[in-house]
Amino acid sequence: MTPKIECRNITKFFIQKGKQRVHVLEDISLEVRDKEFLVILGPGQSGKSTLLRIIAGLETPNEGSIKLDGQQIAGPGPDRGLVFQSYMLFGWKTVMGNVELGPMLNGVDKSERRRIAQRYIDLVGLNGFEKHYPHQLSGGMKQRVGIARAYANNPKVMLLDEPFGQLDAQTRYFMEKETVRIWESEKRTVLFVTNNIDEAIYLGDRIVTLKGKLPGRMHEVYDVELPRPREHTDMKFLQLRQQITDASELVL
Amino acid sequence: MADIQETIQDLGRQGSSIADEIQQTVRDKKPLTIRRIVTNEYLLHVLSMTAFLLVWHQAAVSGLFAGALATPWQVVERFQGLMTDTLAGLTIWGHIWASTQRIFIGFVLASALAIPLGLFMALNPYVDAIVKPVFDIFKPMPPIAWISISILWFGIGEPSKIFIIVIGTFVPCLLNSYNGMRLIEPELYDVVKVLGGGRWNEIIQVSFPASFPAIFAGLQISLSMAWTCVLAAELVASRSGLGFIIVQGMKISDTSLVIGGMIIIAIVAWLSSLLIAGLEKYLCPWKRDIAGL
Ligand SMILES: Nc1ncnc2c1ncn2[C@@H]1O[C@H](COP(=O)(O)OP(=O)(O)OP(=O)(O)O)[C@@H](O)[C@H]1O
Ligand SMILES: [Mg+2]
Repeated sequence: MTPKIECRNITKFFIQKGKQRVHVLEDISLEVRDKEFLVILGPGQSGKSTLLRIIAGLETPNEGSIKLDGQQIAGPGPDRGLVFQSYMLFGWKTVMGNVELGPMLNGVDKSERRRIAQRYIDLVGLNGFEKHYPHQLSGGMKQRVGIARAYANNPKVMLLDEPFGQLDAQTRYFMEKETVRIWESEKRTVLFVTNNIDEAIYLGDRIVTLKGKLPGRMHEVYDVELPRPREHTDMKFLQLRQQITDASELVL
Repeated sequence: MADIQETIQDLGRQGSSIADEIQQTVRDKKPLTIRRIVTNEYLLHVLSMTAFLLVWHQAAVSGLFAGALATPWQVVERFQGLMTDTLAGLTIWGHIWASTQRIFIGFVLASALAIPLGLFMALNPYVDAIVKPVFDIFKPMPPIAWISISILWFGIGEPSKIFIIVIGTFVPCLLNSYNGMRLIEPELYDVVKVLGGGRWNEIIQVSFPASFPAIFAGLQISLSMAWTCVLAAELVASRSGLGFIIVQGMKISDTSLVIGGMIIIAIVAWLSSLLIAGLEKYLCPWKRDIAGL
């Protein structure tokens, strides 16, 4: 079976302040299978966002290629939905306005895009908040809007960049549960970036770890063969957690 | 804010949905104590105004400021008279209208030119590169410095006054729309890109709405600039307007006319800024307060 996404030897440099060359990603090769929940786990400043932005088509790699369904990607497109690390909601639009943005940009007529948007607003549990503006929502609710906005555009692949990084531990745990619920009710290929090991094991079918420090390099790939719903206190959960921490401590 | 908007995240009661993040409106009801009455905001407003008027009155009666200070009551009487009597052929309403009209024309002209130009400069680096050096020459020049040349060019009639207002309001209008658009978070454009929108959609969906608040901040600054300009122009040469009233009062040593003119200017300028604030509220509903929804 051809993988949904295939990254081959991706290397990325940035030029900062005119002349400084920052090496951000080195030789990243990974495959995401169809309908798979793949988690990329890496410490802060390891090029995670950059990798996701490259796959989204917002940045071009200096070397390497990305294929989606066997097709080379060229620039951003509605086949990949991105959920941003810092929400990036449009403060001048209501929840409904934000969620229907994708269908609207793609020329879906008003009643139809309202219907689509409403479906995803309901799916993420924001029913009744359609007319609220982002500043009236809590952090967790804002990111629900971000998720609904990406889903409403009906992408083949969802890219989530540390979506719960700004939430407190409790809300974060709750949102992780919600993510699994949403993913199970409408299965899609998901690429989820995080720096939180528990979040990675709780969510992922597979986990790819990145080495710390720039440039980000691939380290290990773990299969998470725990049944869902998962428990953080489960023996196997804790064993895998230990295994990953031990391996990454060697790197740091 | 009287209402406290509270977002309760009670994770103890876990449901399947948003029920875990409830928004609840709680009314802020406190018992009426003496302390609350004494510290009441409005009572304090009244007290401070009364004290101010008393001090003013006392200063006027005791002949401070070379005796050139009318009492508050004299000012009120003088302007009551002016509502029906005329000064240089116009009642007080006529003079207010004269100034307001100048402001309105100059303000509309300047913002209609400056806002689009600022947005263009922010959107297109070539326009920026062409306009910027010329604009930078004029930017630090105080608008009042243009009064003499404008009288030489346009005479002492309306055009020269409107010209000064345009000059004065143009700079803050342009700077704010320019900066407002340049300071937009670039990732907001990525949202449009990722959802499949093109450059035009980036401008319509992000550039314009995101720079609205900055544009309105610019309009507010422009407005107070416009009042400064119109007064300066009227002080120099005019037969009508609030600036003219003040100069007239000075010439005939009528301090109640001067002070009253100053107060009316403050009131009209304040009202006009309320108008802009109201327009902003109407055009930017997302900025409305939660309690005011
Ligand atoms: N557009 C850019 N231009 C220049 N340098 C950049 C750019 N984007 C990212 N970088 C640099 O790349 C490095 C990695 O950034 P990136 O945001 O990908 O890391 P991250 O793993 O997502 O970090 P975090 O965990 O903080 O989100 C940083 O040092 C950053 O300065
Ligand atoms: Mg990041």
